[in-house]
Amino acid sequence: MNRLLRFLPLLVALAVLTAAFPMVLRHITLRSDISDFLPEARSREAAFLLHELRQGAATRLLIAGIEGGPTADLARVSRAMAATLGDSGQFAIVANGAPRIDDVEVALLFAHRYALSPVASPDAFTETALREAFEALLDGLRSSAEPLLRRFGFADPTGAFIGLLRSWSGETRVATEQGVWMAEGPRALILAQTRAAGLDTEAQRGAADAIRAAFAAADPPPGVRLLLSGPGVFASEAAAAVRADVKLVSTLSFLLVASFLFWRYRSPMMLAVVAVPLALGTLAGLVAVDWVFGHVHGAALGFGMTMLGVCDDYPILLVTNRAPNEALRDTARRIWPTLRLAVAAAVAGLMPMLASGFPGLAQLGLFAAAGLAGAALSTRFLLPLLLPPEGLPVRALPERAAHVLLRLPELRIPVLAALALVAVALAFAGGPRLARDIADLSPVPEAVRALDGVLRHQAGAPDVRVVLSVTAADAEAALRASESAAAVLLRSGTIAGLDHPARYLPSAETQRARVSFLPDAATLAAQVDAARAGLPFRATAFTPFVDGMAEARRLPPLTIADLAEAPLLTARLSPLLRQEADGWRAILLPEGIRDIAALRAAAATISGLLLVDVKAETGVLLDQGIATALRWGAVGGVLVLLLLGAGRGLAGGLRIALVLAGALLLTFATLHAIGEEITIFHLTAALLLAGVGLDYALFIARTGQEDTEDAARALGAVITCMVTTLLTFGLLALCRTPVLHATGLTVCIGVASAFLLACTLAPRPASP
Amino acid sequence: MTRRAMLITLLALPSTAIAQDALAQVMAALAAIRESQARFVEEKDLPELDRPLTSRGTLSWRAPDRLEKHTSEPFEERLLVEGDRLLLERPDRGASQTVMLDTAADIRPLVEAIRATLAGDAATLRQYFQLDFSGDLARWRMVLTPLSARVLAAVQRIVIEGEAASVLVVETQGREGRSRLMATPLR
Repeated sequence: MNRLLRFLPLLVALAVLTAAFPMVLRHITLRSDISDFLPEARSREAAFLLHELRQGAATRLLIAGIEGGPTADLARVSRAMAATLGDSGQFAIVANGAPRIDDVEVALLFAHRYALSPVASPDAFTETALREAFEALLDGLRSSAEPLLRRFGFADPTGAFIGLLRSWSGETRVATEQGVWMAEGPRALILAQTRAAGLDTEAQRGAADAIRAAFAAADPPPGVRLLLSGPGVFASEAAAAVRADVKLVSTLSFLLVASFLFWRYRSPMMLAVVAVPLALGTLAGLVAVDWVFGHVHGAALGFGMTMLGVCDDYPILLVTNRAPNEALRDTARRIWPTLRLAVAAAVAGLMPMLASGFPGLAQLGLFAAAGLAGAALSTRFLLPLLLPPEGLPVRALPERAAHVLLRLPELRIPVLAALALVAVALAFAGGPRLARDIADLSPVPEAVRALDGVLRHQAGAPDVRVVLSVTAADAEAALRASESAAAVLLRSGTIAGLDHPARYLPSAETQRARVSFLPDAATLAAQVDAARAGLPFRATAFTPFVDGMAEARRLPPLTIADLAEAPLLTARLSPLLRQEADGWRAILLPEGIRDIAALRAAAATISGLLLVDVKAETGVLLDQGIATALRWGAVGGVLVLLLLGAGRGLAGGLRIALVLAGALLLTFATLHAIGEEITIFHLTAALLLAGVGLDYALFIARTGQEDTEDAARALGAVITCMVTTLLTFGLLALCRTPVLHATGLTVCIGVASAFLLACTLAPRPASP
Repeated sequence: MTRRAMLITLLALPSTAIAQDALAQVMAALAAIRESQARFVEEKDLPELDRPLTSRGTLSWRAPDRLEKHTSEPFEERLLVEGDRLLLERPDRGASQTVMLDTAADIRPLVEAIRATLAGDAATLRQYFQLDFSGDLARWRMVLTPLSARVLAAVQRIVIEGEAASVLVVETQGREGRSRLMATPLR
């Protein structure tokens, strides 16, 4: 009881901090979209690609698959869901089969059929062509399909309108069964495009929930399942994955660290001692990031949890370094210069993250820097006030282990030689392998991305490897540019097909040209009379045809401003033609690329046409991110060196720098050896490890003037720090989320190397 | 309700009841036929044409919902309705087309006019048409007027005539054009 009373201030402080967490969390915004982890664009291609990744039509597309039953059941569920979703108002497009086109739009498109349809060529209206069309019509009228044919047959015997609709659906490769899209499996497919932007995570999640609710409301028979993919699903799955990782890791590492500390300090109180600076540091990090960025990324928070392994160094160093009979506040004052130097150098090492160009990484950097500073300050000024002056009892380390470690400096020469060998070997192996796939950066679980790939493929959404784009001052110019580009590209023979906006809405120029080919009423009437000779058609039968063409010749071209009554046309057009800040952009999607180099050459001949090779361009973006990280890493390194030089003199500074450089070298050599591809996350984790390793080097070799007992105590403190760090980061390495995995693995390897090197390169003990 | 209106209702009741009775008898007789076949001749009279188009073939019915119209003249064609699916095949062109009746609100009533009659299913007929029945089991006539304004715009009425459990004439009056199908039961 008496013992507990002595720790009362500590426990009260801890309770206050615990209560502060929910309050702070309520006031910050958590986000988890991938785009925070993409660098800023430097080229036109990169800017276009980033825009597409962040806001492109694909980011608003949800794909639902319904499977696990007979086709009839799946089709019924699909139809019921499509009806519910269509009425919900959340979606711009809901499609589950061949498109339904309403009467108003039919009337509009029918009136403009000759201007819009690629079938309307000048020789479609000669006597021979008309005769053929009339015979086909008569044949159809004899058939049972007669009621269907009557609707357009006499007004459009040449099939301009039907040809128009067919040219639209040309690219759909999904089979239709029972009136709905049915892929192999069988699996009914529904595509839904949200009205909300892809970046609006809340709205995207709402859209995904609406689809799940529509599925439940469709009363699916037992066994029938819903598969769902899209940004809304990605967002929640990513958040769930990060949350699950963080939860598992923090629980496990808490248990492991707690048991270790309990063993080392014979008291559960050490946990509370460690928790106070940790909690303060985490709070400081959260508040700083939210204050600067307006929100906190989920992964930044996950990363904050890993600070458990870094921040608990400080209270451990304080308690363990206390000499017998020394008051704890005197220990704090004694070790403060070293601690201050360590923290300052670590913060300097984290600075590059702030300038990396990845908002997500900048958040990580700020979080860690603010957290470290908060933890260090609370260790120096708060902990001595909260703890009894004698601190906590420390269990001695096993004699043999300490003995071995203290003798490590004798191995200095062979170790340095080995380091040089490793450096040469790594250089010969071509350096660390860099990751080139942007998917490696995504916090979205692998299985979810794989499902997305399958559904997209089944839904006939082309795997867009190459995107072409052209901008112009207005929509008409953009359409004209895409028409001429399409003509050149298709003629070049480098691609099998091309989807582009003018396929759906030809430029006014093209529409006028098509209409100008149409024969005048008198000519057409004469051709019709000649063509129907000998057929049972009455003289007036084709009056709608002749009148309709006369009307078409009078109509002004259909423009983008006239499409309010044409939702189906708009749905086809809008992903390919859009208004941007400074004009209009047309997007051209090639299909069946035969020769990318030849396509590139053909595209280069068209002025203003931008060709983006998505995969290659993504690689460039990532390289750029890594180059930036390296550049700022070098700056950070110089800052660290300067600080160390100022604190420890030239020789001492270099000694510590050698520990860090050696640890980094061993880390990347090990990552290379186990086949890891280096991402930006490994690099920034390396910066963090440098910060942690710094503590070890500084505290093991504080001045080189301490007696053996002091040295053993310092060594014991650092070993405790290292074990707790390994316990937390070791678990991170097992996470699936790439950022957590990369950080954990890198820091783990690095910390072990840094510790051993710090022991080896420490100044030789004063007495042999 | 005024006394006058009540009187009219009372007077009207017996004749309606008698017609209802005969309709029920006809429907019961039709429903009892599980399978039937008939030869047909169809004449289409379209205002755009100066002579009617004639086609011939066979009709096959199998309860509860399978109806096949096999045309042999002037060309081979098969129209098959089964459940929710309508299949139209032109073997000479290798062409076939499937329509799901669920998604074709304009076509479904035209199919049900014949299919529900053959099935003896007055409830389904009333779902899509106003049904006026006259005659008796020996010789009857039904006038079907579409309830949907959309369908009504294309088809004003369908008249079906028959004797006992046999459908003999199906006449469709459209806004433009008229078709008359005459069936001769086989067997």
